[in-house]
Amino acid sequence: MSNFLSTNKERRRALLTVVVGLALVGTALGLTQPVTASQKSLPGARTASDDSTCLGCHSKPGLTKELANGEVMLLTIDAEHFSETVHSSEGLSCTNCHLDISGFPHLPFAASSLREASILLYPVCQKCHIEQYNQTLDSIHQKQLAGGNYNAAICTDCHNPHIQKRITDPTTGQLLPDARLQIPQTCARCHSGIYNAYKSSVHGDALKNYENQEVPTCISCHGVHNIQDPRTDAFRTNSPLLCAGCHTNPEIMDKYNISTNVLNTYVSDFHGTTITLFEETNSDQPSNKPVCYDCHGVHDIKRADDPDYGIAMKENLLIKCQVCHPGADANFPTAWMSHYIPSATKYPLVYYINLFYKFFIPLVLGGMGGYVLIDFIHRMVVRLKGADRK
Amino acid sequence: MSNETQTYQRFPIARRIEHIFMLLSFGLLGLTGLPQKFPTLNISIFITSTFGSVENLRLVHHIAATVMMLGTAWHILVAGYKIFVLKEPMSMLPAVKDALDGIQALLYNLGIGKKFPQMGRFNFEEKLEYWAFVWGAAVMGLTGFMMWNPLITLKLLPGEAIPAAKAAHGGEAILAVAAIIIWHMYGVHLKKFNKSMFTGKMSEEDMLHEHPLELADLKAGLAGPRVIDPIQLRKRKAIYYPIAGLLTVVMLAAVYGFVNGENTAITTIPPVSSPIPAYLPQTPTPIPPLPPQESGPVGPISWNSYIGPLFQENCTSCHGDMAFGGLSLVTYSDAMLGGDHGQVIIPSNSSDSLLVIVQSSGEHYAQLTAEELDNIVKWINNGAPEK
Repeated sequence: MSNFLSTNKERRRALLTVVVGLALVGTALGLTQPVTASQKSLPGARTASDDSTCLGCHSKPGLTKELANGEVMLLTIDAEHFSETVHSSEGLSCTNCHLDISGFPHLPFAASSLREASILLYPVCQKCHIEQYNQTLDSIHQKQLAGGNYNAAICTDCHNPHIQKRITDPTTGQLLPDARLQIPQTCARCHSGIYNAYKSSVHGDALKNYENQEVPTCISCHGVHNIQDPRTDAFRTNSPLLCAGCHTNPEIMDKYNISTNVLNTYVSDFHGTTITLFEETNSDQPSNKPVCYDCHGVHDIKRADDPDYGIAMKENLLIKCQVCHPGADANFPTAWMSHYIPSATKYPLVYYINLFYKFFIPLVLGGMGGYVLIDFIHRMVVRLKGADRK
Repeated sequence: MSNETQTYQRFPIARRIEHIFMLLSFGLLGLTGLPQKFPTLNISIFITSTFGSVENLRLVHHIAATVMMLGTAWHILVAGYKIFVLKEPMSMLPAVKDALDGIQALLYNLGIGKKFPQMGRFNFEEKLEYWAFVWGAAVMGLTGFMMWNPLITLKLLPGEAIPAAKAAHGGEAILAVAAIIIWHMYGVHLKKFNKSMFTGKMSEEDMLHEHPLELADLKAGLAGPRVIDPIQLRKRKAIYYPIAGLLTVVMLAAVYGFVNGENTAITTIPPVSSPIPAYLPQTPTPIPPLPPQESGPVGPISWNSYIGPLFQENCTSCHGDMAFGGLSLVTYSDAMLGGDHGQVIIPSNSSDSLLVIVQSSGEHYAQLTAEELDNIVKWINNGAPEK
């Protein structure tokens, strides 16, 4: 008898080899084949006539299916809306994403809830958007999802594929201005409390009411796709550099007449010195020293000169001081130089003390150094002459 | 010559220990102060990580400052004892001669003067360093107090005093450390390693070079340990000890107040300034409002009044022109004819009608509502009339 695959162990190994092999072939054939989103026509893209078959049923208003948990899923697709989407304009048809649909009746639908339906469907996005999909794998949303929080955002929560219009310039890849203005509303679907705070902030106000393209939106600070947990100690200690990204850039700040010395004045003061050293040595540990947003607000960042909330008003600043300094009185906030570099008119005492040492230190050290040097040279000369000081 | 073996007592053990404490605390203050003054330098990051964290760094800075304050208090008590009890000459006081000695030494080194100055127990280099240290300790102590206790300070001074204190503390620190490196290192280590602060003794030869006037006084019996009348000594001690005791209490209280004067800030993590919950979904509107449902038919149900339009609305996408399964539900006659599986509507027998069976199973692709199905059942049982 042949001893081919005679032991269980060998059989298992052979089976495993076949399974892995098939998986690799499957991967190579296309399921996860990376295709860049900017590609004009996709391999296997169907013609519009495929869509008309689907739309034969799915364009009917009120087409619904009741799921196991009693939720009603709307199955109607507005063909006119879809024709305006980026997916439609890139030549995608229904079955490019709905891979399991090949005829009627459809395969039984496994999802027992609306949320489950979305979660089962969204991985298909990686077919074209592999780069963005991989970024999301590293995100807080994905971690929450993996931890069983089904409310965590997936691709289609932010980008409804049936109504998603083009958001980037096809040639430059840059976000389109209109799309940029919409970002906070997108996040607001789940983070409406934070959105409301942002809306009232100096940044949100400029975005919403003045269509300003320079103010940060959610993704400017939190990133897009690979959004990290902002509650970590590392995020906190690194956050001043995040704000400084714009606030030390004179190209942006000069237009609004905002100082670009906010970071160096922070770093040179007690709080910023501590955070800077923390960031370098212990950024994964908690520090109770304030970062930008502890005084300026997290999302509800106000103009410093806002009469009601602005911390250029000492009484407003005092409230912030007292969070960490319960014993602070009205005089206390004046100890903070408000990001000013001392000058003869602003904080003159500090300015003149610095000026004093600027001259006093070289004067004293120069005198000492000069004396020491002359003494040293004299000794060398005497030693070379072989004489001695008597 | 006996010069080489003859040594003179220069510092008693207590002064040498005092020097070691000052040396250690000064060194630690400088080392732990540097990263706080220049937080972005690589050396600062190295020093901070060596100490573990910036909080540890600051703790060591504070401990070293406390040691230096206690050392200063001890120094004051000893100085008082020597001046008022032992009546020793105040050999550290600066005099006009010191300035002249300095000039003379400089001129000599420049090759202009002929003689190097003759100096006493403390030469001008040592006096300069001592009084620079006194000045530095005063500035650092005062500004250090202000930064350590800003709440107390700001009850008396305007807010600007705190950043001003920080500026002075930093400037003075650079001056002090650099002066020690230049003046002290050269004067007692590089020029000639003067070990007397550690051994307590100095050889006659070194005395001749460094302190010739003191050596002369020692030889003449004018300096050095003196015999004091025991009764006089007891009298002076009786006066000085209570004063020194009181001074000790005052100075210790001052140091205690310095260190524990106030709780400037909370030591816990500050409360999150934004209590807004991260996840707060907007009212979900995943399904656009459904087209208004016809409220139930009025009067007896017929194909024309209700069933026909109902099928037209819900079924004819498939069971229309395409006639899925051979079934068309467009006209009454088509509907009654049935499909590939035969009749779907059996008048007066809803339970055997395939349409009802399929819809009731819930497995048909498109699903009528329970109310609609109920109306169909009623219609079939009523004979499925066209009109």
